[in-house]
Amino acid sequence: MNWKEIFMNWKEFFKNLKTEDQGFVPEDTRREFLKIGLIITGVAAGGSLLNVVSVVAEGLATSEELHKEYPYKPHYSMVFRVDRCIGCERCVEACRQTNNVPEYGWRTKILERVDTKAVDQQRLFMPILCNHCNNPPCVRACPTKATYKDKQTGIVRMANYKCIGCKTCMAACPYDARYFNEEKGAIDKCDFCWESRLSKGIKITACAEACPAGVRIFGDLSDPNSEVYKIVHQMGKAVWVLKPETGAKPNVFYTIG
Amino acid sequence: MKRIIILASTLILGLSSFVLSEITEEGVKYQESEEAGGPEIVYTKPVKGVLFSHKLHVKELGLPCESCHTAIFEMEAFKSQRNPDFIMDSLYKGKYCGACHNGQTAFASNTKCATCHVGVKGLERMKKKAQAAEKK
Amino acid sequence: MEKKNNLVAEGIISKDEFKQNWLQFLMEFLSGSKDFYILLVLSGLIVLISAMFGVNAMYVGYSHVYGIYREIPWGILISGYIFFVVISTGLSIISSLGHVFGVKSLIPISKRSVYLSIVTLFTGFMVIFFDLENPFRMAIWNVFSPNLTSNIWWMGTLYGVSLIFVTFEFLLTLLRKYRYAMIFGLLTLIGKVLAISNLGAVFGMLYGRDFWYGPFIPIYLIASAISSGCAAIIFFTYLGYRIRNERFDKSMELALQVVGKLWALSLAILAFLIFWKIVTGIASSEGQWLAIRELMFGKYAVNFWFFEIFLGLITPFFLLLVSKFRNLNQMFVASLLAFIGIFFTRVDLVVIGQIVSQFFEYKVTDFPVILTYEPTLHEIMLIIGACAFCVFSFLIGEKVFKGHHTEIH
Repeated sequence: MNWKEIFMNWKEFFKNLKTEDQGFVPEDTRREFLKIGLIITGVAAGGSLLNVVSVVAEGLATSEELHKEYPYKPHYSMVFRVDRCIGCERCVEACRQTNNVPEYGWRTKILERVDTKAVDQQRLFMPILCNHCNNPPCVRACPTKATYKDKQTGIVRMANYKCIGCKTCMAACPYDARYFNEEKGAIDKCDFCWESRLSKGIKITACAEACPAGVRIFGDLSDPNSEVYKIVHQMGKAVWVLKPETGAKPNVFYTIG
Repeated sequence: MKRIIILASTLILGLSSFVLSEITEEGVKYQESEEAGGPEIVYTKPVKGVLFSHKLHVKELGLPCESCHTAIFEMEAFKSQRNPDFIMDSLYKGKYCGACHNGQTAFASNTKCATCHVGVKGLERMKKKAQAAEKK
Repeated sequence: MEKKNNLVAEGIISKDEFKQNWLQFLMEFLSGSKDFYILLVLSGLIVLISAMFGVNAMYVGYSHVYGIYREIPWGILISGYIFFVVISTGLSIISSLGHVFGVKSLIPISKRSVYLSIVTLFTGFMVIFFDLENPFRMAIWNVFSPNLTSNIWWMGTLYGVSLIFVTFEFLLTLLRKYRYAMIFGLLTLIGKVLAISNLGAVFGMLYGRDFWYGPFIPIYLIASAISSGCAAIIFFTYLGYRIRNERFDKSMELALQVVGKLWALSLAILAFLIFWKIVTGIASSEGQWLAIRELMFGKYAVNFWFFEIFLGLITPFFLLLVSKFRNLNQMFVASLLAFIGIFFTRVDLVVIGQIVSQFFEYKVTDFPVILTYEPTLHEIMLIIGACAFCVFSFLIGEKVFKGHHTEIH
């Protein structure tokens, strides 16, 4: 309905306004989103309630948009199957050792979600790390471009020598992914093991390799043969991101199974 | 005098080997009371932080000791984790916890992972409880 | 120093005039009362002690001596920075009404305001110097690797440029080159207003922080600048005259009246802005509601109700009305209380925006829903030192520039 029609028939319009709930999503919008495998789910199973009409559109680009606007090759991305996480923190240890993460900081963390009122299972582990957003608030806010999104791979990286330590990126990040590393004299965060592994030809991050339960799946979102592509672009299961309402368009996805 | 002290300390040590709490490299053992039926055990191998709660199984669910001891598990904490086959695959085949946690007697061991896998955080919490108890 | 010599070189003033000015300054400085020198030495000592704290903090590492941490990266040092630069902007705005836009009644307060805006801006920079982990890199990379989408970059650059402009403005005023001073005054005003709106936008453009996001903070800071600028003018003018044991002349009394009225108006506007920020915040997202709840009813309730509202808004407004804008003693007390209230307002602005955990919706055991921040001795000493520096510079300025008297021309 265009504005004129709304104005002429305002009573009808307001009567017909419905809550943003699954049943009233227009068919073609629903098809758009099903194309990228994001079924509309009402279950808040670890991320925000994915509401098709407004939130998902902001949170994730549609399939075509994704690869045109963010033409990274390889488009590094990670998927977490959170129901498998057992909190053994082998990934955290591996990351610490591979990337020399000091004791006082972390590049990846396992959050422990506990809800005593939940049915069946009352604890769920949820790994978090830098989401290497497609629209990163930290990159926008850094005064000296000390943090930037790599044009080739899409990884949000640090140029340590430029960091002035203003901590704006720490305030801007919705995911608490950054910390100040005293030894480097700059802000540090997950870089998908770019410096320590990917740039040296190792195709997988330390954390993904260390996980004994198959929680972390690391891969190239632009490659249809990769597992991350297959999980994100499928219709059978819910896939979500953390805090899509921030508009950061994260590249780290969460799913069950 | 000296002999009395030695005798007394041996007695105490001996008694405490029915130990209410113990923290070793292999894991944490913590029993809050006699009625629990056995200690809470947190394994650390092959992964850290797997909880078996005697309190839940014996006191709350009312299982007798014979249901597990000694056909499935020996009466020694951490004995199982010294076996190289103390892995999930064995559970799926009916060994160890999988003897009951097969989807029929109790929930299947390939579901609800975080119920037993309390993780490093759960391990640390149990350690703190054990340390607090030891101090008393 | 450099600038003055350039002025000689460019033939704007003669060598003799230059020497004369310097001698004058020195003679004025040496002719003070005993109390003046006691106050000067005391404030100087406090500055030195706090500088020691600052250097110690740099040596040991900020993470060990400041109360900030990963989840709350900005603390009272950032609040202190905002406190001083907002006062500086306010001083510029109000003094420019006088000597840039020609509001005759405000001319008597102009010179002191310009001087103080230099002092407070410089103080703000010094406070931030002890917050940035690598402050010296800023000089290089702000220039060679600027990020034009970064509000911090714009703010830092604009305030830096404004500091240069306002210093020129003051020097030109001293040298009585009023036309040039006016031009620089206008440039300073534009620079500072743009800078303060970017300062607000540093917070306002962070969509991930519910309490901060939106156009409110940039708008609020401009109103607050006018309010704190007025408070500063009344505070320092009153003190300046008391220190020199001078009587207020008619034109100065009138100027302070006008400033007082402007202040009362800006307080009313601020009350309006804050009220709607709170009410709309309560009616908005969970994150905002939690933050506001903590501010109004939680650990920060005393900060908010007593310092921010009572000392910062209500009491000054009431005192201003009671004084009928004529009783300068009451107006001075109002400004003193207002300063205290305003500082706590800045602390609340910075801290409340961060105390709701980023993961509060997920029921995690790793972080509480409301985080805590406790300022440490180092941070508090640095703020005290900054205030002492302001007092110190103000005192020197009073003596050296002979009470900042202005001829009306």
